Amino acid sequence: MPGFEAAFGGWPVPALATTYEGGDPALLERLVQLVDLLEIAPDTIVGSERGQYILRPEVLDEYASVSSRVGLIAHGIGLSIGSFDQWNHDYLRLLDELFARFDLQWHSEHLACTVVAGESLGTMLSMPRTQEALDLVSRRVELLQKLYPVPFLLEHVIQLLPDAPAEFTPAGFLNAITSRTGCGLVLDVYNLECDAHNQGLHIPAFLDELNLAAVVEMHLAGGVQYEGFQLDIHSSITRESTVTLACEIVRRAPNLRAVTFEYLKEAVGLLGHDAICGELQRLRQTVLRQAVLQ
Amino acid sequence: MTQLELQQRGVLNLLKCRGTPPGDPWLRLVEGSRELAMLRKIAIWWRTFQIEAQCRQTSRLLKRLGSFEALVTDYFNRNATSPFIEELSRSFLRSLEKHNDPVVRAVSQLEYAALNAQARLPEASEILWDRHPDLVCRAIESGAELPPAEPDCLYRLRISGSQPFTLTCTRESTFEVS
Ligand SMILES: [Fe+2]
Ligand SMILES: [Fe+2]
Repeated sequence: MPGFEAAFGGWPVPALATTYEGGDPALLERLVQLVDLLEIAPDTIVGSERGQYILRPEVLDEYASVSSRVGLIAHGIGLSIGSFDQWNHDYLRLLDELFARFDLQWHSEHLACTVVAGESLGTMLSMPRTQEALDLVSRRVELLQKLYPVPFLLEHVIQLLPDAPAEFTPAGFLNAITSRTGCGLVLDVYNLECDAHNQGLHIPAFLDELNLAAVVEMHLAGGVQYEGFQLDIHSSITRESTVTLACEIVRRAPNLRAVTFEYLKEAVGLLGHDAICGELQRLRQTVLRQAVLQ
Repeated sequence: MTQLELQQRGVLNLLKCRGTPPGDPWLRLVEGSRELAMLRKIAIWWRTFQIEAQCRQTSRLLKRLGSFEALVTDYFNRNATSPFIEELSRSFLRSLEKHNDPVVRAVSQLEYAALNAQARLPEASEILWDRHPDLVCRAIESGAELPPAEPDCLYRLRISGSQPFTLTCTRESTFEVS
């Protein structure tokens, strides 16, 4: 089982990463000059051929064209690792295809359920923090670790629905998964702010309790407020409060290997290439600099 | 049934506005919550967004008719929607097969055939129009008035089921002498 500490020992400063979903070569060229890693979300580059889901070859070719200049990581959306019955086998086939084509440094998924009894929810449901959910997710994480030769990370998702009866605290649940399986975490700083706004999560207490040594990747994004909710629709640059919190986490997470700026492909037109690139430069100078200053 | 199954099936039913009212205390709390209403809005918003991007002509036409959002919501509630955009789009277009507006039926079938062609799915089809197909598509694209239905005639648009995909259209008279 590839543990995250063994796999990453020796990287002094976290890498800067961002998402890219294809079809915008001018943006890609600018991104590879600014980042160290590109994050691929296999679900977002799916096409089909003769009734089979495949990764769109023209997008894979785009990643291949820059793979000598940047590293690649995968971030899934639709595995549904927390479904009571079974996870999404179609997603694993996509992941197989991606691994067959590229050397990925690690891959990650959301700690969530997106499919129930074979039916897509159309959204992500956070997991109840129970022993039952812990056992289920841990079993599947261990299977993923056997299936793929690189570290696997889990990302906590925002919780919108009222809290279900729980046997663990939010940080305690993540600690239980990482200590049982050795998997790493993607800590999404904006998601924490959403949970603070929507659920009253106390972020300082959460961070004090969380085993920050398990955090391998950090996500940064900006979103929207709608009808009193803070939503994880990644349509803007990072707020100042998110950057400040990210700087604190960088100083406290000893195994952090990447800071990833996430934005939706659909928001590119709204944001513009300049704003995305400017944001990456800002994050390198602020968040990543914290690691250098230590 | 485990607690996890009960909760996940329960949320699916609540999201899709189906099933009997839940007995589980947490699901009952979720049922009337503003959080559930928001989760449902987000799920439908994403489907709307994806369908709009993939089925441009059909969604423009339905928006013009003022029924787009209601149809996507109805489709979401009644169907096991695919997480993959292409399959979702094809399935949504198929759901319009029996729409009572002949232009909606024809445009959605044409777009369905176009998606199949893109995905190299060989499926021959024949679409009947009550007015000139090209003029309909141009009007949707430009935002101009739709051409009126042409009495006593129909247009039969045939799409080949093998590559190269070809379209042939014939105008036929339906006028009957009594
Ligand atoms: Fe994510
Ligand atoms: Fe994230």
